[in-house]
Amino acid sequence: MEIDVRRVAKLAMLEIPEDEVEKYEKELSRIVAMTEHLPEVENAKTLIDTENKMQLREDVVEPSYPRDAMLKNVPQAIAGCIVVPKTVE
Amino acid sequence: MNREDYEVIVGLEVHAELCTETKIFCSCKNAFGAEVNTLCCPVCMGMPGTLPMLNKQVVDYAIKMGHALNCKINRVTKTDRKNYFYPDLPKAYQISQFDIPLCENGSIDILMDGQVRRIGITRIHIEEDAGKLIRDDSFDGTLADYNRCGVPLIEIVSEPDLRSAEEAKMYMEAITNILLYLGISDAKMQEGSVRADVNVSVRPRGQTKFGTRTEMKNVNSFGAVYRAIQYEANRQIEVLENGGVIEQETRRWDDAKGVNFVLRTKEDAQDYRYFPEPDLLAFEVSEAHVQELKDSIPELPVAKTLRYVKDYKLQPVDAELLASNRARSEFFDSCVKLGKCDTKLICNWMIGDIAKILNERRIEIDDTALTKENLTEMITLIEKGTISNTAAKTVLDCIIEKDVAPQEVVKEKGLAQISDSSALEAIVQEVLANNPKAIADYKSGKTNVVGFLVGQCMKASKGQGNPAILREMMLKAIDTL
Repeated sequence: MEIDVRRVAKLAMLEIPEDEVEKYEKELSRIVAMTEHLPEVENAKTLIDTENKMQLREDVVEPSYPRDAMLKNVPQAIAGCIVVPKTVE
Repeated sequence: MNREDYEVIVGLEVHAELCTETKIFCSCKNAFGAEVNTLCCPVCMGMPGTLPMLNKQVVDYAIKMGHALNCKINRVTKTDRKNYFYPDLPKAYQISQFDIPLCENGSIDILMDGQVRRIGITRIHIEEDAGKLIRDDSFDGTLADYNRCGVPLIEIVSEPDLRSAEEAKMYMEAITNILLYLGISDAKMQEGSVRADVNVSVRPRGQTKFGTRTEMKNVNSFGAVYRAIQYEANRQIEVLENGGVIEQETRRWDDAKGVNFVLRTKEDAQDYRYFPEPDLLAFEVSEAHVQELKDSIPELPVAKTLRYVKDYKLQPVDAELLASNRARSEFFDSCVKLGKCDTKLICNWMIGDIAKILNERRIEIDDTALTKENLTEMITLIEKGTISNTAAKTVLDCIIEKDVAPQEVVKEKGLAQISDSSALEAIVQEVLANNPKAIADYKSGKTNVVGFLVGQCMKASKGQGNPAILREMMLKAIDTL
């Protein structure tokens, strides 16, 4: 299977040196080839692990975290907001 | 070709915030308007090492909407990860649903000029809302508030079945009415609780193949949906008329300026790289629970409207107005059930004076002291001629404030209508004596002055005279002059 490493890198916002593209192409191709050997899921029912079902949470409020604690490692905060690079959309 | 020679095709993706107590994947409070970043925890702020826990109520609310829109419910379902890099989403992905939505293949009936139009519903899925970004030109950065991050959403995707801006607006209204009926969203568009992505294409009438569509994201009022579609359809028609081609692209609608512009073209379309959410398992909703949720769905606005028109012969526009509000229509239903007075009169009071009071005070019928017994008793008093319509408004003001028998109010305030002809005769004679010009007008053929004279009699009786009797007496008296 052909892998467009440059595109995958762009989507994942990764910078890849040109001389490593070929190496990643080979590695990724092998990974994809491996997943192709996984069995097909035949119907949705088999998605459920009956022994170990996912518990849903009751809709009950618990206290949120203090803002100071949440913002402690933020590089820059203004008026309780987190400063992020200027966005356009 | 003229504009009329083109058919407009619209499909909507409506996002509605659910009014659960907590967020979708953590126990932070789900509320609008709190101080920035105070309804946050490591889960909704996307800290590494945290794990989401799905809120049961979100699943229930989404299934309710699925039932209301006649969908197939997928009892076994899962969540998926939608990847995108944007600072409103600190995890850099949104947990949503991809290939197995909770609900699919449904429909909704909307009323266009009293006619039922059935619009297909492709799917309804659950997902999390993103945070809010605050921008200011004076500042070289963007401020992020994550209170909204993780607020539960349902996305309702329609088939491309809508054929005009009017239909799309009606569809949006119908969807928000149902959300309110079910009590699963506050549906406040001005707070962004309901937003729509609008897909528009045009094609020459008679052509079966769809034209290329464009999408406008986050259009956030009924009016804006209408205007955005009108603008985009006209723009596409103009491009085609000038020999151009429509590009598949995402455009931004600027409602203040009334124009849209390209945001993203097909070439740089987002690639969300969906994959099954690894932090949550697939889950199953029992058949009994799905049925239980189905049984909890009330009669919905369109069905109610049609029933009111058919069973009570209400005017479609009145029936629709009455049915659009669940609390009011249920109050109406309970009044009708008592079988004490004319159904049309109850409707007129509900959508007239009562609606006016409620809307002015921004309250609902349950917030008042009005009971079905008192309202129907008041209307019965009008029907019997005991009180006039004007006096009834005074009675209404009292019985809306406290639970007191209308009869008592009439007695206490002396509102009873005077139908006794000897008492009214004196008033008629007095009015005639004071209006010689009106009598002369009448004699010269201007018979409509009778209305004026009866009005004077009503005034003289302080609104208590029976207008029908007064009119009769006035005609008799003036003819014998």
